[in-house]
Amino acid sequence: MALREAGSDFLFAVTVPFRKRLRPLCLLALCAVGLSALVSCEHARSGAAASRKMIILGIDGLDPDLLTKFMAEGKMPNFARLASEGSFRRLTTSIPPQSPVAWSNLITGMNAGGHGIFDFIHRDPKTFQLYFSTSKVEGPKHSFHLGSWVIPLGSGSAEQLRHGKAFWEILDEQNVPNYVYRIPANFPPIAAKGKTLSGMGTPDLRGTYGTFTFYTDDPTAAAGAVEGGEVVQVEVKENRVDTHLIGPDNTFRKNSPPSTEPLTVDVDPLEAVARIGIQGQQLVLKEGEWSGWVPVEFQLMPVIGNVKGICRFYLKQTHPRFQLYVSPINIDPEDPALPISTPSSYSRDLAKQIGEFHTQGIAEDTKALTAGVLDDKEYLEQARTVLAEHRRAFDVEFPKFQEGLFFFYFSSLDLNAHMMWRLTDPQSPAYDAALAPQYGSSIEEFYEQIDQVLGEVLPKVDENTTLLVLSDHGFAPYRHSFNLNTWLLNNGYIARKEGAVEGSEPFSDVDWGRTRAYGLGLNGLYVNVRGREREGIVDPEQADALLREIRQKLLEVRDPKANSEDDAQVITRIDLASEVYQGPYARSGPDALVGYNRGYRAGWKTILGAFPADVLEDNTNAWSGDHCMDFTKVPGVLLSNRKIDAQTPALTDIAPTILAEFGIAKAKEMKGQSVFQPR
Amino acid sequence: MACFAAFSFSMVISILTGPLAIVIVVSVVVGLAMVVLFGYTSDQKAIGIAKDQLKAHLLAVRLYRDQIPVVMGSYGKILRGTVRYLKLAFKPLLYVIVPITLLMVQMDRYLGQTPIPVNAPFLLTVHFSSSDALNDATLALPSEIVMTAPPVHIAADYQIVWRLAGTRDGSYEMNINAGGQSVEKVVCVGGGLPRISTVRLRGQFWNRVFSSAEPSLPENVSIESISINYPDRNIEIAGYGMNWIWLFFILSMVAGFIFKELLGIQI
Repeated sequence: MALREAGSDFLFAVTVPFRKRLRPLCLLALCAVGLSALVSCEHARSGAAASRKMIILGIDGLDPDLLTKFMAEGKMPNFARLASEGSFRRLTTSIPPQSPVAWSNLITGMNAGGHGIFDFIHRDPKTFQLYFSTSKVEGPKHSFHLGSWVIPLGSGSAEQLRHGKAFWEILDEQNVPNYVYRIPANFPPIAAKGKTLSGMGTPDLRGTYGTFTFYTDDPTAAAGAVEGGEVVQVEVKENRVDTHLIGPDNTFRKNSPPSTEPLTVDVDPLEAVARIGIQGQQLVLKEGEWSGWVPVEFQLMPVIGNVKGICRFYLKQTHPRFQLYVSPINIDPEDPALPISTPSSYSRDLAKQIGEFHTQGIAEDTKALTAGVLDDKEYLEQARTVLAEHRRAFDVEFPKFQEGLFFFYFSSLDLNAHMMWRLTDPQSPAYDAALAPQYGSSIEEFYEQIDQVLGEVLPKVDENTTLLVLSDHGFAPYRHSFNLNTWLLNNGYIARKEGAVEGSEPFSDVDWGRTRAYGLGLNGLYVNVRGREREGIVDPEQADALLREIRQKLLEVRDPKANSEDDAQVITRIDLASEVYQGPYARSGPDALVGYNRGYRAGWKTILGAFPADVLEDNTNAWSGDHCMDFTKVPGVLLSNRKIDAQTPALTDIAPTILAEFGIAKAKEMKGQSVFQPR
Repeated sequence: MACFAAFSFSMVISILTGPLAIVIVVSVVVGLAMVVLFGYTSDQKAIGIAKDQLKAHLLAVRLYRDQIPVVMGSYGKILRGTVRYLKLAFKPLLYVIVPITLLMVQMDRYLGQTPIPVNAPFLLTVHFSSSDALNDATLALPSEIVMTAPPVHIAADYQIVWRLAGTRDGSYEMNINAGGQSVEKVVCVGGGLPRISTVRLRGQFWNRVFSSAEPSLPENVSIESISINYPDRNIEIAGYGMNWIWLFFILSMVAGFIFKELLGIQI
């Protein structure tokens, strides 16, 4: 329509005689003068706000207690300076305190009822299919079959599932320049005027949160899928391994088998070294050595269907057993198969400046450590690479910052606290006295690195700059697992089918006709509501009473092995969705949020709808620190160079604070308010 | 021929520094040379007649589209005219293609790859004539080149692969000793536009002409080839990197079409 109007204007200009054209031109000139006067006034009005700058360092999992301890020990001098010269507060986290929920609270200024993100995973109540909460990647809707080929009619799509306006969208509307690096829950990135790069929630090339591949000729290693990876049995024949690199599922083929590319490894017969060959590229690795990023291309359909990715190789062992780890195949930032940045060229530009980098949302390969494929030393090497990439990006982008907002996210403290907590906690069932002296200080090392980043920022903070350093939540030990579904089963809220054997699908052996409530996700408790769930049996009017009954019983659960009464209470609070959520999606998620005591968390299997034998289990997993608990026990941090007026600031206050700094009124849906006094 | 190429390149390099400037200048010059050479070596009058006749038959197809016999006849004449035109263009194209191909081979020595960056790893792959030769092969390196991993012996492919790195800018000779014989391979480290030879071969004349910029390996050594995996050079245009050959192809074609009009030469 606009194009048509512009076209008719042009026709008008070339066909009407000059004198007649002069009149509208004069009018147009007058309008332009008037408009520019108005703009000048507006500019003058917002001049003070326009000159303001804001820097936000979003540090996932930065814990207030650890921070206080390290500051007191003199290990974080820049944070200590900021805390003493500015403000340091505990930041109330989200309900539940999970990163996708927490960052969505920060981004939108709303709670989960407003933005619709309640957990890492959500379920479709009609089918009980589980899906990633923050995004949905779909193939083309229509296709036809030609032999074994599937010919798509149209293209696929990637859709972000977070609702509500992000703070940088509002800044864009007000022409405030902004830069947003890897903020979670922003995949695919929403349209933006500034540069943004998607973060947590960005899948690998296989569409998962990260799937490594481990090749070995060890006959004791069970081949097949493990959590977060795949073990492939290979044969070393005349010092050569001929195998395949596993790529994304090939949706151009019937039944979508995984695409593969030939991978050859030649092992030296005597030395601990090997040559890896893939797609005409060759690299030599010594045992215990990582490769750089290696570009790979998977051919899904000749000519038209290729996708590019990048991966790293780690030669774990050559003799006597062959062991090769291949990282999850990340989307290639130089030629992304899915949208990961705005503008779309930004990921390529950044890669040119800092080299290829992890694009996968959760870049630290925690699953490989959990599966025993990588040991602590190897995992930490990989995790340090991730932080080094972030720091390179920071060192390139921060000096360019001149005006508006600069937001930069760091994941390292969160993921490494998850994995390394056990080596700082002798009470952890996964504590290893031999490893603790070697790697027990690794969390501290990552905190110190973040302090160095802050040290680069502080000299650039002037009187017109507001600095916020914040985290989405804190941390706590995760020593014991509570299997909510087993508890619900034992207490008669879930019924299983007669003679049922647990299947691979969540809840596949549940008798829904006799089930009143179920647990799903890290903190979710759902009622099997009639009309909402596929086979719901509980009247919606009775749901609230049922939840209160379950809440009463869960709060009474005690750990018989605990040292004290305080430690023995497994669950310290349960929040009903009807009481804590507001907004259009308040009833789309769990009906109640289970808040575990420090030291406890939902068990690994119960979160996906399984029923381990025991209600309480020791957590011997390397994933030994956590925050998916009672939200009051794992607050985040908020530090600023300015005086924070709010005594109990919350994540939902951050978006209104950002807007207020630039003289923009908060959106009416936003729950929080600026943490500062109005200027 | 190699001397001519080396001379012309040293001239160009001394005047212009960047690879993009070199490709632009060479493309324009080659575009002009192609058109002039084509003009001199072709039968311009006959080409002009052939093109006119093709145009006339195409016009007939449009004018008499309701008369099927005329249209079919015109199509036949268009086909015959096209064959005649191609025959007329073939001989001059031969004159053009041979020097252009040789020029491109020489240009690729400078523009196809970049030297190995300082401290970046590279692979030196030596291909022997039999697996027995792998046992006593050794590598002697200048002090500026260091070995960063033990060599990988690949008996199945008769190969040894060394991972090396250069610590300083420059061209260095590495010596591979096998069966009591020693042969050299040059590696270029650093930046700039040095003449790069990715492989040194034994025999294989035509392969050497197109792939190697070093003398043939002696016939009495047990080494078939010595190669280095130099990084490909990409020339940046508007944020996109491309191989110089694509750029050369596009620019020389554009230049050729412009000069053809200016010089009134029929192509």
